[in-house]
Amino acid sequence: MLKDVVYGLFAGATYGMLAVGLVLVYKGTRVFNFAQGEFGTLGAFFVFWLFDQVHLPYGVAAILAVALVVVVGLVMERIVIRPLLTAPRVTVLVATVGAALVMISLEIIIGKAVPRTLAPALVTKNLIEIFGVAISYQQLLLVGVLLAIGVGLVVFFRTDRGLAILATSQDSYATRVVGISVPATSRLIWGSAAFLGGLAGILQAPVVGVFGPAFMTALPGAALIPAFTAAVIGGMDSLVGAFVGGEIVGLAQGLGFHFLGLNHGVPGAQDLTVFVALLIVLLARPQGLFGKEVA
Amino acid sequence: MAVTASRTQEPPAVQAEFRASPSGLVARAVVATLLVAIVFTIPLITDTVWDDRVSLAAIFVIIGLSINVLTGYAGQISLGHQAFVGIGAFMSAYMVGTDGPGASFFVALPVAGLTGAALALCLGLVALRIRGLYLALITLAFGLVAQETIFNIRSFTGGGAGAEAPRPTGFVSNQAYAYLCLLFVGLFLLIDWRLAKSKAGRAIVAVRNNERVAATLGINVMAYKLFAFALSGFFAGVAGSLFAHQTKFVQAQNFDFTTTLLWVLMTVVGGLGSRAGVVVGSAFFALFQYLGDLLVKIFTFGQVHIDKITIAEYAPLVGAVLLLLTVTRYPGGIGQQLLPIRRWLSGGPFVDPKHRRKKRGAGAAGAAIAQEAPLEPVGEREAEPTEVLERVGASSEEPAAAVDAANDGQADTAVDAANDGQAETAVTTQMPAVTVAAEEKTVRRGLRAFRRKG
Repeated sequence: MLKDVVYGLFAGATYGMLAVGLVLVYKGTRVFNFAQGEFGTLGAFFVFWLFDQVHLPYGVAAILAVALVVVVGLVMERIVIRPLLTAPRVTVLVATVGAALVMISLEIIIGKAVPRTLAPALVTKNLIEIFGVAISYQQLLLVGVLLAIGVGLVVFFRTDRGLAILATSQDSYATRVVGISVPATSRLIWGSAAFLGGLAGILQAPVVGVFGPAFMTALPGAALIPAFTAAVIGGMDSLVGAFVGGEIVGLAQGLGFHFLGLNHGVPGAQDLTVFVALLIVLLARPQGLFGKEVA
Repeated sequence: MAVTASRTQEPPAVQAEFRASPSGLVARAVVATLLVAIVFTIPLITDTVWDDRVSLAAIFVIIGLSINVLTGYAGQISLGHQAFVGIGAFMSAYMVGTDGPGASFFVALPVAGLTGAALALCLGLVALRIRGLYLALITLAFGLVAQETIFNIRSFTGGGAGAEAPRPTGFVSNQAYAYLCLLFVGLFLLIDWRLAKSKAGRAIVAVRNNERVAATLGINVMAYKLFAFALSGFFAGVAGSLFAHQTKFVQAQNFDFTTTLLWVLMTVVGGLGSRAGVVVGSAFFALFQYLGDLLVKIFTFGQVHIDKITIAEYAPLVGAVLLLLTVTRYPGGIGQQLLPIRRWLSGGPFVDPKHRRKKRGAGAAGAAIAQEAPLEPVGEREAEPTEVLERVGASSEEPAAAVDAANDGQADTAVDAANDGQAETAVTTQMPAVTVAAEEKTVRRGLRAFRRKG
């Protein structure tokens, strides 16, 4: 059981990382971004292409890949999000689903639906043991990056730029009056979200082992729904909540897999636990653990 | 408000002005009959492979209608429709299978529909408390649970191996089965049409537009929301049953995440709330991969042949791009483009009479709005068809959006079928007051923020 719990907690770090991107977009634009997972998949594809095909050094490939994902995020912001700035939020949600579908189909057309393996940033041979569970350095790196991002973002939201993002989401008209550019803020939000998503995908792909089109959104990574659940549990407008929520979801999955999946043979036990957790939180405390408002 | 005011008044004069001539009526009847006849002769003239595709298109149409009831009429977004279609398919296979009761197809089909309705009702109960963005999330997670857990229960669905679903005697051939599917499409179109015209249909739309206003009008919001879910689930369950026996073998992977998204996008592209648009959109997406191959062959005189896999790969991309175009540029979807044809077939003029009238009187009527919103071209604004998609999200967030509840184009789905032109006048008179108040508020808020900052 301890093994499943540790696995769950490390999986939770990935969910937390995606959830931070979701929370960022929500704080800035009041929208659920269903394309967040695909930013990650694109990141993994770009690294695979630059490292395995173009043979660039790993570090260069990773940086370039994240930059490319940011470009994708900015393009998406320009042609999908900007025209819908004043549209109802569910419309924008459908639009982000559409954007995710465009990315998935491009991945299928260009990359074909073949499972690939992405080399990890750190060598996998050296494993450390935590409670008898072998943890790769890649997983530790993921947790480290996540913590660094967390601290960085919390600080960022105290700066003028960060406050501008919050102001735009609360009242875009008043924000314009005080001289803050709404399109520039929107670009900043979506660029950062793409950055976080791409980073999550690049770090997660070697941990999952194989990746293919839509691996962060659907199977085998299946991180988008748990990440949303994490963000909701923590509170859609709370960055700290996203981290804690990620760990809670990871833990719930680990326990669910152990008690339902292993002991009782329930298929898809992890998804079931996540769904039940999401349902309970939304029915009992829709503003989440750390959140202030209901989305 | 607009809704109550128009009830007491006469229908607008515009509709009375136009009356089709007897020869015009005959022409309309002939065209309508021809359209139906063409659809029903397709299985006769095509080969058996295409007959099977006609069945698939028919099933997609029923699924599209199912999503339309829930999202188009009731304004409840569903990203987990594979749960309802899938449960119908597996239930049907279970009913006719040797492990189950071994019932006939014609018993299994309604049972599948009812199972879909029951499952949808469960989700509907959740939707009573959770709405908007959270509901979208819940439905997506629910779809995944259905796909991963429910469809993998070994004793019910055969686990990952799948379940057999033989066709009923008399409908074994693809041609006969295509007719069976078309028959169900006709049946569901009839149900859908009558629903939209009934008190229940108008109540559902009223709940979509504004729950609070609907409640004050004496509409039982809870009951009608649940009814919409159950009806949508029933449609989906029957579609699932037809699908199971069309492919003769159902597996959990038939109902994955991307399939659901394809269904949602075919409905949105077809045009939420527009029956004709949904039918055309759904059939188009069901046949896209085959039509693509056919068109390429025709235009290159059989020189270029693209294999099926390539085209199947491109289908989601084309769909997704169309979805984005629909959402950002043409919110009415295909239904909006079909509007003149539909109006003509139902005995009206081809060109929108309101559009013509507005052009003449745009100066006076539009002046009031033009003052408030100088950036928006008046003529365009009034001619714009209803933006159903926008209203999906508007229900709880923007009470003001409910003012333009009943607009042109969507008259049959609007709160009151008769208030075609009437609601618009109500909007014109109300708009300035609302916008002035809103503008003032934002400016004041902006100034306050400005003062605080500097």
